[in-house]
Amino acid sequence: MSMPPKVQEVEMQEVEMREAIRQAIDEEMTRDSTVFIMGEEVAEYNGAYKVTKGMLAKWGPKRVLDTPISELAFTGLGIGAAMTGLRPIVEFMSWNFSFVAFDQIISNAAKIYYMSANRFPLPIVFRGPNGAAAQVSCQHSHCVEAIYSNFPGLIIVAPSNPYDAKGLLKSAIRNNNPVLYLENELDYGIKMQIPKEEYLVPIGKAHVLRSGKDLTLISHSRMASLCQKCAAELEKEGIDIEVIDLRTIKPLDIGAILNSVKKTKRCVIVEEGHYFGGIAAEVGFEIQEFVFDFLDAPIGRVCQRETPMPYSKPLESETLPNRSRIIDTIRKTLK
Amino acid sequence: MNENFDRGALGKERLCAVLRNMLLIRHLEIRGEAAYQQGLIGGFYHAYIGQEAIQAAAIEAFGVENWYITSYRCHALALLLGATPNEIMAELYGRKTGNAEGRGGSMHLYTKRLLGGFGIVGGHLPVAIGAAFSIKYLEKRELAICFLGEGAVAQGAFHESLNLAALWNLPIVFIIENNNWGMGTHVSRAISVDKIAEMHAVSYGISGYTLDGMDFFDCYAGFKKAHKEVLESSKPVLIECLCERFRGHSVSDPGLYRTKEQMQESLKKDPILRLRHTLEEKGWLDEHTFKEMDSREKESAIAAMKYAEESPWPSPATLEEDVYAP
Repeated sequence: MSMPPKVQEVEMQEVEMREAIRQAIDEEMTRDSTVFIMGEEVAEYNGAYKVTKGMLAKWGPKRVLDTPISELAFTGLGIGAAMTGLRPIVEFMSWNFSFVAFDQIISNAAKIYYMSANRFPLPIVFRGPNGAAAQVSCQHSHCVEAIYSNFPGLIIVAPSNPYDAKGLLKSAIRNNNPVLYLENELDYGIKMQIPKEEYLVPIGKAHVLRSGKDLTLISHSRMASLCQKCAAELEKEGIDIEVIDLRTIKPLDIGAILNSVKKTKRCVIVEEGHYFGGIAAEVGFEIQEFVFDFLDAPIGRVCQRETPMPYSKPLESETLPNRSRIIDTIRKTLK
Repeated sequence: MNENFDRGALGKERLCAVLRNMLLIRHLEIRGEAAYQQGLIGGFYHAYIGQEAIQAAAIEAFGVENWYITSYRCHALALLLGATPNEIMAELYGRKTGNAEGRGGSMHLYTKRLLGGFGIVGGHLPVAIGAAFSIKYLEKRELAICFLGEGAVAQGAFHESLNLAALWNLPIVFIIENNNWGMGTHVSRAISVDKIAEMHAVSYGISGYTLDGMDFFDCYAGFKKAHKEVLESSKPVLIECLCERFRGHSVSDPGLYRTKEQMQESLKKDPILRLRHTLEEKGWLDEHTFKEMDSREKESAIAAMKYAEESPWPSPATLEEDVYAP
């Protein structure tokens, strides 16, 4: 697991993912009075997923703001505020709702610093749950990272555990660019020991969750823990898998990926989003572009199948990457 | 409308400076269009010719020290907020010395207080309320001033931004420049009401006013009133300025949807002629002085073309710089 160095000397606390995210926001609001958070139900309701629980009571309505169901307006408002001296955190109740604010993120957030010849940096974080939850059907289950990562100017991070979640969010809030910070509804309850004292996790660094020599298994967000489980299962058969958690999608830590693939010579990429034009497609392409001669087998991938997300449970688990599809693909790649 | 406004109140010097600004805008646009026709400028080109009184009056009424934001028809506002004719023309030419180093072009000009020209109709309204939010958050005595065309009123961003600005009492003035045409579609075929500002304002519980956008004084008086009202009430104000664009939507628009007679009627309302006329009536301007003034501004525009033409291109080596801020 991704523990900090000197773990024994540091005072630790056990937190859920949602608490780790809240601590990051709270600490940064303490550090910088221009940081504020807004979104649907973040204040009086204490957050749709309780990430912002207690924050209104602590910080008051000036810095913890409930918005109407008006993503286009409050996304753009955040962008305008970031251009004029503030550091907004915009919560999407779900990244699916960011689509009605798509123009703001793509035409404005991603472009303004470059297009204005560096006049207006855009220190803003957009955050919220991404990907499928439990049977919420097709309009509430999108993985947005492949869509947004196609546009230069955006930073995209997707932590898989509370330690990274806290450290990455703090780095994101301090960053002078628009950061899309992707959480997962099913991960909010994940518990982990993290340091009590302040720490940062740098943007743009992947993390080797488990080292191995037979195959590199790459994923991010919720798929990272599924990959770890698959690796543990195959370990019993003597198959030694290196698991990499991308943590940051963009900028991609291609160096860490290539180092691992050069060592293992085989690679499988797992992504919760779809096959076509996905993160796996990009990572796989870059691997063949830079270390083709090291590969002993074609790169494998397991992604969400090319269907809208169905509601029914057996159909839902069939379209998502799952244990058996991942293990089958690993075996095929090892042949 | 503000018929009783004292047209001499601003004094000779200030009004002559306003006239010079309006002439400079006009000449810069004429030269820019000419350069476009010669193939020296690419992309889109939306001229502000005919609408000069509105933004000239806004700067006089509100002052520079506010957050300004506008649509893609942004050359005049950049000029009024301190961008030089040279840097604007160089930007249109795509040169390194341009206002945005050749990255933005015609639709994306900036100054210290201009958050940009924005290319997507209505897309800058949510950004504008963000600037107003900052002003309130940082407890400054400023305003956000957002210009939009009447075409943007049909966008969802208009409704969402007005609603949120009114709900959160944000210090912002929205100025709809209704030049009657969203490209080639007449306003009557695009917007369900007339008196756009007055009728929409009611539904957000804010004030709405209609001004004669071809008359500097009516705009100035209306903006002054709005300025005071926003500072006192901390509520947004919505204004419609009825105006005419003398050119097509962009350079490539031949304007076939308007008859010659309609155009001639429009040209009679020329805001520059109207301001000149007032100054002459007051005895503050004669034909000779006007001609001198006019040719000086024309020279600036011509000099800007020369500057742009002689300016270096941006180096391709810099292409990937500044996609991200440090």
